[in-house]
Amino acid sequence: MKISINWLNEYFNQQIDKLELVNKFNLMSQEVAGLSKLVDVEGLLIGHVKSLEKHPDADKLSVCQVDVKNELLQIICGAPNVAQGQKVIVAKTGVVLPGDFKIKKVKIRGIESNGMICSLAELDVQEFDVKEKGIYVLPDDAQVGEDPLKYLGLDDYVLELDLTANRSDLLSIRGVAYDTACMLDWDLNIPDVRVIREGVENPVNIYTTTRDSSTYYGQVVENIKVKDSPFWLKSRLISAGIRPINNVVDVTNYVMLEYGQPLHAFDYDKISSDRIIVREAKTGEKIVTLDGEERSLLAGDVVITDGTKPIALAGVMGGLETEIDEKSSRILLESAVFNPVKVRRTANRLNLKSESSSRFEKGIDASKTLEALNRACELLIQYANAIVIGRPSFYNTANTKDKIISLSLEKLNSIVGYTFDEETVENILTRLRFSFKNKSGEFRVKIPNRRPMESYQDLVEEIVRINGYDKIPLSIPETPTQGGLSDRQKTKRSIRSFLVNRGLNETKTYSLVNEENACKFDLKATEIIKIMNPLTQERECLRHSLLPSLTSVLSYNKSRKIEDVQIFEIGNTYFKDTETEKIAILLNGSADKSTWQKDEGQIDFYYIKGLVEALFEQLNIKNYAFGIPSVNIVNLHPGISAEIVIQGKVCGFIGKLHPEEEHEIGVKDIYVCEFETDNIYKSKGFHNTIYQEISKYPSIKRDIAILVDDGVQAQKIIDVIKINAKKTLKAVEIFDIYQDISLGSKKSIALTLEFMSADRTLETKEVDDYLEKIVSSLEEQLSAQLRK
Amino acid sequence: METKLKRLILSAESEIQKTKTNNELLDIKAKYLGKKSEFNDLMQEMKNLPASERPLFGKLINEAKQEISNLIDKQKQIMEKAQINQRLASEAIDITMPGRQFKIGHKHILTKTIEEIEDIFIGLGYVIKEGPEIETDKYNFEMLNLPKDHPAREMQDSFYITEDLLLRTHTSPVQVRSLLENAQQLPLKIICPGVVYRKDDDDQTHSHQFMQIEALVVDEKTILADLKGTLLLVAKKLFGENREIRLRPSYFPFTEPSVEVDVSCFKCNGTGCSMCKNSGWIEILGAGMVNNNVLEACGYDSRKFQGFALGMGIERIAMLKYGIDDIRLLYTNDLRFNSQF
Ligand SMILES: [Zn+2]
Repeated sequence: MKISINWLNEYFNQQIDKLELVNKFNLMSQEVAGLSKLVDVEGLLIGHVKSLEKHPDADKLSVCQVDVKNELLQIICGAPNVAQGQKVIVAKTGVVLPGDFKIKKVKIRGIESNGMICSLAELDVQEFDVKEKGIYVLPDDAQVGEDPLKYLGLDDYVLELDLTANRSDLLSIRGVAYDTACMLDWDLNIPDVRVIREGVENPVNIYTTTRDSSTYYGQVVENIKVKDSPFWLKSRLISAGIRPINNVVDVTNYVMLEYGQPLHAFDYDKISSDRIIVREAKTGEKIVTLDGEERSLLAGDVVITDGTKPIALAGVMGGLETEIDEKSSRILLESAVFNPVKVRRTANRLNLKSESSSRFEKGIDASKTLEALNRACELLIQYANAIVIGRPSFYNTANTKDKIISLSLEKLNSIVGYTFDEETVENILTRLRFSFKNKSGEFRVKIPNRRPMESYQDLVEEIVRINGYDKIPLSIPETPTQGGLSDRQKTKRSIRSFLVNRGLNETKTYSLVNEENACKFDLKATEIIKIMNPLTQERECLRHSLLPSLTSVLSYNKSRKIEDVQIFEIGNTYFKDTETEKIAILLNGSADKSTWQKDEGQIDFYYIKGLVEALFEQLNIKNYAFGIPSVNIVNLHPGISAEIVIQGKVCGFIGKLHPEEEHEIGVKDIYVCEFETDNIYKSKGFHNTIYQEISKYPSIKRDIAILVDDGVQAQKIIDVIKINAKKTLKAVEIFDIYQDISLGSKKSIALTLEFMSADRTLETKEVDDYLEKIVSSLEEQLSAQLRK
Repeated sequence: METKLKRLILSAESEIQKTKTNNELLDIKAKYLGKKSEFNDLMQEMKNLPASERPLFGKLINEAKQEISNLIDKQKQIMEKAQINQRLASEAIDITMPGRQFKIGHKHILTKTIEEIEDIFIGLGYVIKEGPEIETDKYNFEMLNLPKDHPAREMQDSFYITEDLLLRTHTSPVQVRSLLENAQQLPLKIICPGVVYRKDDDDQTHSHQFMQIEALVVDEKTILADLKGTLLLVAKKLFGENREIRLRPSYFPFTEPSVEVDVSCFKCNGTGCSMCKNSGWIEILGAGMVNNNVLEACGYDSRKFQGFALGMGIERIAMLKYGIDDIRLLYTNDLRFNSQF
């Protein structure tokens, strides 16, 4: 909402201090978006073109002698409409026009020019007179040497407020004046409206068949002379950001700004009947609106009709057919109230947001509908020669009774924590111009219809803001409570810390991705969730995996010459019936390396596997395994991938990207992993760890090397060893693996087995027995041969 | 006699000091302390002395032998040390060669900011509540005093999945869920961090996905002053001990009174700069007393219970704290950016 300071000043006996007003609005009412001059130029003068002759060396230029009262300026002007005797707007040397255009003393083809004769466009207010061509010519009564902006009413400041949804009352200058008077604790002068009515009977009849219009006043006005509005009216509209059109339309807009009540003017002679019927539109009905567009209507839209066809979209836009033009002489003025929801729906659907619709949407003060109409009549009589014919026709079912809200001092204080006394509250209510009764701290407050308030909380808010938030004391909630992280939240933090300490960077990417990426890396290939109203196709679907986003991050960084990309993200993935939090890891490039020592820190499958194992170890997760995928994980290399099983449940995967994927990304050797965190949280032992005594007895280590078929997995060998060694096996480690043509389709695996007992020193014989058992089982079950 | 001994020591000392190897030293040892040494000759001579002089003479010889032995040991140590030094010198490396390049990972700046805020509230006795990102219209809007067709709904243009399901536009539905969960209506002090979505085109200051953290306190005596005190505490923790706060009226459907909260500019200390647009204040969050309609919708008797809520955008806090001027940087994951925090 843009507010003319000159206009606002009319409501008070004293001049507003603009900066104080800004401060008051910020701290007590609504945020100020800006305060600026309506026309940002200083030092313009009204000049009189005394004489004028053609420039000797330039056809299109005139050399003018312009009287600006105290001096005669020679100014060269290129405008074709400049003429002797004109009153014009002069910018002398030194004046800075909008756009940082500084007027300088210049010589044009040998002749000196000491200023500029201005057009409205050069002052950035072309809308003041759209018919202007060339320089702007002022009427003859303009006083030479005076400020032309003042003469035109453009010497104004504009205060712009960012309005919140609960302050629709500030969509009018009167509402702003009420709030200003309250904040400054000033007297407020609200002028009366006086209309002289002639003739006996208003010829129009008004009906409605819908509940979506509570109030409708229609006034026929005759003898209209359509012309330009007076300067002051134009400048008021311009200060509010509205373009002046003609006196009739301008008056309706002016009254809208003044009262917050949108009005509409029909050319009454273009309406084919004397009946106005407000009703719901029929689906398929059409109307050509003022902007020349044909609009298709739906049931639910509200229309003004002449009894047969729509002539206006209620609250949104008038019809072209009944538009006011220069020849209009009888008009029908409409002042009405329409259902905010219906206006909003229609305006949204047809993309027809306007000053009018936005006021209807937020709700208007139905108690001022008639007064606003009368105010328009008053102005039309003054500025359009109008004759107002009889009383307006109307229907009015709006409830405009004042609302009573009760609030006790005790309640107020118990909410705020500040000790208001009765006098302070009385003073604030008086400043708000709310009438009230106070029975020893029990306030009954009559809320005027201009303020849409419902509950005592609304009233508390009013009292607190006017009293000042700075007066509220400081305390913190009394009730003691125990704060802290849940086990899940602690675990999530540990996971992050672990991976960060292992050199990975955390990423944050978008949940919405394109359709192709949404379904990648999904083990279950379930249905994806789509947004009904996406911004773009790139952000249309909710992802099933975080990995496509991580590969994008990889590409982004690789293309910026960042070689080592080791990243992870914890975030939600989205399925028809649930949201699943996952952790995804992507590794590429080298890990901790020392190149000159020939250690490239190469990342391979076993690196990422080891990382995940270490994470599980850190989180005290015992019962996990890596297995050959039970379902093919598309997008992964089929031979270099595994599923992660925790407590018997498949919860994720690990592996190298499929060569085709790598090719598409343009990066090789991308290792990834993704699993659901829920299983981690569930499997993590949160119980207290019980201390295990450290064995006092020595361990015995034995190395064995066996020859097995190529296809025998290491895990199988370890499993056989574990089963046979029972509890005495402390550790088993593969320390070599060897394949060679000489071994045919076999491979040699060398292992170190460490035996230990918690309660005694193991005998060599015992260990030998175990080893024998292990070897024979390996031979038996895996056709292994012991290498001597 | 004594001069003989002295001469012997002096000659031994000069020979010892010339030795370079262990063998040379062994030879000297044999020469002076062995069976055929000059000391032996002297011992023989001793027999010719009167018995009364023998003990003194014997003592002198032993002292002289001891001295030579000490000299040999000392020389041996010197030689060993020289050897060690030689070995160490040969083992010396170029310590200016680079060390192993350990990768340093970084939590995302948003995670860091959330954890910092979480920890402040945990210290004040709050617990952390989380909830789904796909929400029903009921929890995201209706229960929060935003009925269908409420004009404020437009402030948060939403991504819809069905007529009734949408991506949550704030973390407030977690407040609703937490209030409903708290069946015994015990004092509630929670914070709700999480991802939220609004239908905004991504630009320097807008992101269709962002993060919020909200706090909610509901019990029988929570007052507006508690909110103000909590806000000041949080602002000081986040932006420095010398910060002040300022409350301005605002509007949110779920709170009343509602306020915007400004913190005194931490760049210029309130004197005015580009960061605070010369106002000395920077807007950091919105807050207010819980609207009675919300309490009632969640089954709380609004005559008995009062509460406050506050909510902030994590991106905004992080951008202010770290001087970041484009929100998209937070979601681009340029590792040259991510690894700065
Ligand atoms: Zn500043």
